[in-house]
Amino acid sequence: MSGTAVNRRTFLGLAGAGAVAIALPSCANQRSNDPNVIRYWGMGAADTDKDQAVADAFAQTPQGEGVRVDISQVPSSGNSDMSQIITAVRGGTAPDIWWIDRFNTVQSASIGLLEPLDPYIEEFEGVSAEEYRQQWVSFAVDELTYDGQLYGLPTSTDARGIMYNADLVSSIGLDLDMFDPEQHVLTWDELADIAERCVEIDGNGNYTQFGFAPWLDQGGSPYTYAFGKGAAVYDNDATTITMDTPEWLEVYELYAEWVERFPFARVDAFFATYQPPNAPPAQTVMFSERMVMTPTGPWQIQGNEKYAPDLDFRWTWLPVWNEDDPTYTWSGGQGLVFPRGTEVTRTKWEYMKFHAGGPGQTIIQPMLGNLPTHLQTIADGAYNPKAQFFADMLPFSTSRPPLPVGTAAWDALDRARQSVTLGSASPDEAAATAQAFVAPKMDLFPGFQMPDTYGQPIDLTPPAT
Amino acid sequence: MTGTTTTTTRDPGSDDRAVAPDPPPAAATGRKKLTKTQRRNLRLGLMFISPWILGLLVFVVYPVTYSIILSFTRYSGLLTPEWVGFQNYVSAFLDPLVSTAVGNTAFYAVLAVPIGLLVALVLALAMNRNVREVALFRTIFYMPSLIPAFAMSFIFIVFLNPQFGFFNQLIRPFGGADVNLLGDPTGIKIAIVLMAQLGAGNAALIFLAGLRNVPRTLYEAARVDGASRGRQFLSITLPLLSPVILFNLITGVSGALQVFTEAFIVTNGTGGPDSGALFYMMYLYRNAFGFAELGYASALAVLLFLVGMGLALLIFFLSRRFVNYDVNAA
Repeated sequence: MSGTAVNRRTFLGLAGAGAVAIALPSCANQRSNDPNVIRYWGMGAADTDKDQAVADAFAQTPQGEGVRVDISQVPSSGNSDMSQIITAVRGGTAPDIWWIDRFNTVQSASIGLLEPLDPYIEEFEGVSAEEYRQQWVSFAVDELTYDGQLYGLPTSTDARGIMYNADLVSSIGLDLDMFDPEQHVLTWDELADIAERCVEIDGNGNYTQFGFAPWLDQGGSPYTYAFGKGAAVYDNDATTITMDTPEWLEVYELYAEWVERFPFARVDAFFATYQPPNAPPAQTVMFSERMVMTPTGPWQIQGNEKYAPDLDFRWTWLPVWNEDDPTYTWSGGQGLVFPRGTEVTRTKWEYMKFHAGGPGQTIIQPMLGNLPTHLQTIADGAYNPKAQFFADMLPFSTSRPPLPVGTAAWDALDRARQSVTLGSASPDEAAATAQAFVAPKMDLFPGFQMPDTYGQPIDLTPPAT
Repeated sequence: MTGTTTTTTRDPGSDDRAVAPDPPPAAATGRKKLTKTQRRNLRLGLMFISPWILGLLVFVVYPVTYSIILSFTRYSGLLTPEWVGFQNYVSAFLDPLVSTAVGNTAFYAVLAVPIGLLVALVLALAMNRNVREVALFRTIFYMPSLIPAFAMSFIFIVFLNPQFGFFNQLIRPFGGADVNLLGDPTGIKIAIVLMAQLGAGNAALIFLAGLRNVPRTLYEAARVDGASRGRQFLSITLPLLSPVILFNLITGVSGALQVFTEAFIVTNGTGGPDSGALFYMMYLYRNAFGFAELGYASALAVLLFLVGMGLALLIFFLSRRFVNYDVNAA
């Protein structure tokens, strides 16, 4: 053993070097002190060009002169896994502006993850938040409202319908007029008969062509059809979770009836074969003309144009239970928020306002294929003309209920649907389990009230300027 | 094994050149007073293990203590924790998904642990063959354990694909319809059990070390007595491997209770069809980072810790009947 002093020095030296090595990278990700740099967690990698286009346009404005927007793609918009944003906020490395799945805003606000906008609207715009929010579709703003305060500005929205391959429909010998939204709204019974005629099976009993199943694509969540039955997750008057009502049972019974006609395992094998999990975006059962219809939304337009420009895809309404039932849909979308701890400056506010306002939405929504939430932008028709069918739905559309247990409710509905389609639970049992899962979580928010405007018809008239 | 050798023990920290006679015991306290050299050696020793002590305090003691405290609070990770007493523990027993997750985890553990031990033991026996290419065999058998769980999961997704996956290619000649094993609540659990076996190389290495420690004289004596290979395995190999089996059993159970990565990747974090692959750790993670209920997630973690400790103690208790630590008594 050599001298103690040397060992001690070496030890202390190494410890010091280790501490510096740990400290340096963490410092590198701290929020920038440069007032002209905005750190932004934006859309996924495939859509970076849209975010960049908005940032470039902002740089051309007087407010954006000399401002740099650092765009990062972080694989979570808060939809299911919030570990990145929570860790970043706790570690002081959160972005200045975060592109969030709007549905999760209320939950994020309820856990203290976001900064309320009301004081900044009053400071920078000189109006109340109540007045300022009138520029956007009300259901979109409702999703960003918690405890009477606004926590973000909405960007895009959408709606849901049935996309069908018109050539396949014709080749099977089906009447195209039944799919024409101007002439007819399909009932579930009609759709089931049509789906039977679309099916082709090989010698081993595998589907090689398939028509439709309600649990596919956007139908995976019972929300999609719940709005057609008036099934609600939350009763604002009674302030209780209502996930086991007769309306929900009817939605689950719908799934159960379809599983009897089209066994889940066979449909699942069909999908795993022709559109396996994590398949590239061009490898879908619709693009390979293996499936005739699917419930989806206007975001699909971008993919259709990119990967299957020669296929004749058209849209019709979501099916109704009875012939005279009104049509229905629901809308999702995203928004921009300030994570907790953001030092909100006029520059950052101006960028958020630009991105979520008319200029940004005019640039970004036609590229995405989605719809704007900014009323003047909708009135200007600044979206892909092929999305007009969905734009016409907006006056009677609504969002998922803005609840602080939104993610839990979404999960519970998804699981209930899976239990029914896999046959492990009856509709009654599935609904009861969902209720038992979500109600205790909501009990932590006694007397919670959704905004009064939630679920009301939408007025798309832009406010007078 | 040290049972057949004679060893002398000495203070590992002592220095022959500087050993001073120990002072007489302090009668009043019953404690020995350390010599200057011993104090210096103690300081040095502590300094050398200080990285480990620091790591233990920072990465084990602090998080475990913090987690236990959090389990009695409602905490999102951002706002001030709110004391709720045992409410999180009560909720855990009422939560329908906890029972689902426990059931899935138990299913996995009951299958994966014994199968894992068996596969590892067979691998170790193969690695222990006295042939010229043994080094090559050992490398080949161990290699799957080097594949990251992330890559392994994707390999299995392809392996089980109904159209071109090997599994369906096997059953297709028998005329059955294609099966999506990952789309079935039981099938996906079995798939993850199978996936875990490709990591058996680590346990196999420990078995191999145990096998190498079995004295060859015992086999020679058994052969002279006319014992068959099977009898040798049952009467010599297995008893002398029992401490290693116990070690691998406890680490296997501990690992099975914490199964997460493969299921998370294969199901994209959803828990799979009808929550069929929603294992306990996945549900814990979902509560912590999906629902931001860190208090509740901490309560789930504490319960898992208690169950894990309980199982380890039970195995230790039961092991008295089958574990043999004495080569001479074999």
